[in-house]
Amino acid sequence: MSEQTTRSHKAEKVLERMGQKLNRQMVGSLLACVHCGLCTETCHYVLANPGDPTYAPAYKGDLIRKLFKRHFDWTGRVFPWWVKAGSVWTDEELEELKDTVFGKCTNCRRCSLNCPMGVDLATFNRMARGLLVSVGIMPEGVAVVSKDQWEIGNQMGVLKEDYLETLEWMAEELQDELDDPEVDIPIDQTDCEVVYYINPREVKYDPRSISDAAKIFHVAGESWTMPSEGWDMTNFGLFSGDDALGGSVAQRLYEKVSELRGKRLVISECGHGFRSTRCEGPNWARYDVPFVMESSIFTMLRYIKEGRIKVDKTRNSRPVTYHDSCNMGRSCGMFEEPRELLELVCSDFREMHPNRAENYCCTGGGGAMSMSEYTPRRLKSGIIKANQLKETGAEIVVTSCHNCVDGLTDVIRHYELGIEVTQLVNLVANALVIEPKVAIPVEEVVEEMVAEALPLAGRTILVADDEPDQLEYLATVFEDNGATVLRAVDGDEALAMATSEKPDLLTLDLEMPGKNVGEVFQILRENPELESLKVCVITGRPELRKLIYDRSVRRPEGYLDKPVTEEQLLINVRKILELAHDEAAAGAEGTP
Amino acid sequence: MSELLHFSEHTLQEVALGFMALVYTIRIIWFLGFKAGGDRQAETGPPSTTPAKGVLYSWANIAMPWAMESTRRQYILYAQFVVFHIGVTAAIALSFIIPYGPGLLENQASVLILQIIIGGAFLVGVVRFVRRVGNRYMRAISSPDDYFSLVLLTVWFFFAFLAVPNQTSGGEWHLLGFFIMTAFFLVYVPFSKISHYLYYPFTRYYLGKTMGHRGVYPVGRA
Repeated sequence: MSEQTTRSHKAEKVLERMGQKLNRQMVGSLLACVHCGLCTETCHYVLANPGDPTYAPAYKGDLIRKLFKRHFDWTGRVFPWWVKAGSVWTDEELEELKDTVFGKCTNCRRCSLNCPMGVDLATFNRMARGLLVSVGIMPEGVAVVSKDQWEIGNQMGVLKEDYLETLEWMAEELQDELDDPEVDIPIDQTDCEVVYYINPREVKYDPRSISDAAKIFHVAGESWTMPSEGWDMTNFGLFSGDDALGGSVAQRLYEKVSELRGKRLVISECGHGFRSTRCEGPNWARYDVPFVMESSIFTMLRYIKEGRIKVDKTRNSRPVTYHDSCNMGRSCGMFEEPRELLELVCSDFREMHPNRAENYCCTGGGGAMSMSEYTPRRLKSGIIKANQLKETGAEIVVTSCHNCVDGLTDVIRHYELGIEVTQLVNLVANALVIEPKVAIPVEEVVEEMVAEALPLAGRTILVADDEPDQLEYLATVFEDNGATVLRAVDGDEALAMATSEKPDLLTLDLEMPGKNVGEVFQILRENPELESLKVCVITGRPELRKLIYDRSVRRPEGYLDKPVTEEQLLINVRKILELAHDEAAAGAEGTP
Repeated sequence: MSELLHFSEHTLQEVALGFMALVYTIRIIWFLGFKAGGDRQAETGPPSTTPAKGVLYSWANIAMPWAMESTRRQYILYAQFVVFHIGVTAAIALSFIIPYGPGLLENQASVLILQIIIGGAFLVGVVRFVRRVGNRYMRAISSPDDYFSLVLLTVWFFFAFLAVPNQTSGGEWHLLGFFIMTAFFLVYVPFSKISHYLYYPFTRYYLGKTMGHRGVYPVGRA
């Protein structure tokens, strides 16, 4: 094909910015590949797609390398065809590059550590992502999440009031659990030993991990706090390759800790959050961090070693295995600490093979969970992880990364492995030995139990799902907990019942016959009479999220992946309804 | 010895070597012109992992086939790599031995050893070519330079194998072939993938330093 003479504006910018991004490490990696092919079989995408060379790390790397050779390296400038150098001319070619750098690589760095030449594909793949993002070419999910992190300050668009209410709610739960009204989740306390940072996923979908961490800090007698602002330690800049976003997010965290005069920034279990905050952030932000930063894994381990908390490993007796997060392990060297902790809090730990630096990606790395267009490809590549998990014989897989929790959950569901996914904080909290303070009269306990027994009493919940088993399961859980349940099996019925019955909550499956679920959702949202209706999406098809989340109406209050456990379901539904109750109360107070 | 062979063994080699050294110098200056990325983060990982240890481990990685899954599992490819590169070293040494220390080749054992090494490298070259042409993944990543460089080296091994005894009784064509190819090889290398060894210390240094700083290198394995 003869070369074009005019290059699109975006292609022009990509090449111009490539020159600005290149550093010695990257240039070395771009020059040193000898096409030996040893990296090929180290990639889970290759193993899951035998015969398709477009997944081979060297092939993927060459799509970026060819640009470098054509524009920056002499042989490629003079004899491009001889060394497979090439340029980009059109936006369509950039879209093709996007498909590879975002959709065929999770930046897991497994090939980098297996390259005899030390070629670090993950690093220059991230650079290519950043170049494309800089001209607005990226998967839609990456654009949405990046926008939320720039504008709202966290990658899930959690509002400050929702965050604070969740913390308050979790503190109340903890007070009930420990029967201690003094237990608290401190906000913006100054001069604390620990400032604790979390992933917004914990606020939205897994608040139990916040209360578990709070429980551990409380029992350890720690002086700790959580920040009211800049509390999200995740950083989409790592995935999008946008160093400016990465630096801005990281700096926001560092400055808040300094403002609170905290001595130690503790990062909850999140692989990319840890890597971004602890390792990459200071480089992106060009900021010399004046305090200690550590993963909560270190913190929990230290508490046990110092005797500040006591644990009973027999409380976690089911067989457990550990999945090394790529960002925690291959990029930050955290291999032994999680295992040491697991040996202390679990009685049946089984190693997964391969493990540590040789572990395979959960499939959700590199921001893959936010790129729904690549979900089928991701799930297909998950067969490698599924086989690894199956061979352990474990009932629970533990990981120290929220992305991995979602990635593994998807793989486990897709391959029907029936394995539970959890994190170390949950196991440590479960194994905590807490001495009872005061004996409570039996009558009081019974009264409390009765009061607690029906947490959804007085609520009306409309369950919309076309799968009879799922419909009955959800309805039964809600009815057993005191709710009045309405049932709908398609979009039209859900719309009609929601309009006529005005339930407190609608649980919505995304794939049902009848009216398109996205349209149903939009009609409900636009109906002023249903302003107080809360919606929780419960789906087994996360790739269909676009049906809902791309609409310019208020987002659902909750989102759960199927299969959902009873505990997860209740925690989330209660949270949605209790926040609704608080909003209503606040509204009433504010009414003149 | 004919004048042509003498010229090929000496002047031609010296000019080619000088050219290669010049281009390599320019190449290194160009490479070092790119800024080196810094790392502001505090060290992570166990005490056994430091930047210095990481660099040493990274450089030594190629001699530790057990250290990487890729070389551990594909041990035949690794063995081919070893034979091929020892062959390259032997053939380069031969290009100096013949003009400057021919006495070393009067020992038949030396001749035999060099021929076994270089002959082995030649066979590996053929096997590698078959793999590059026959394997779908290899074809997908190969450029004309990859094929040409491999053919060039394999043919060079062939002439080196014949040149080892340094005998001219049957004619000089094999020695001429070896030295002319060596000169071409020296001139071509800086522009081809064969110059990978120039970058190896750098890529490995930076990867090792980063991975050592971040607690990954040296890799621990259960």
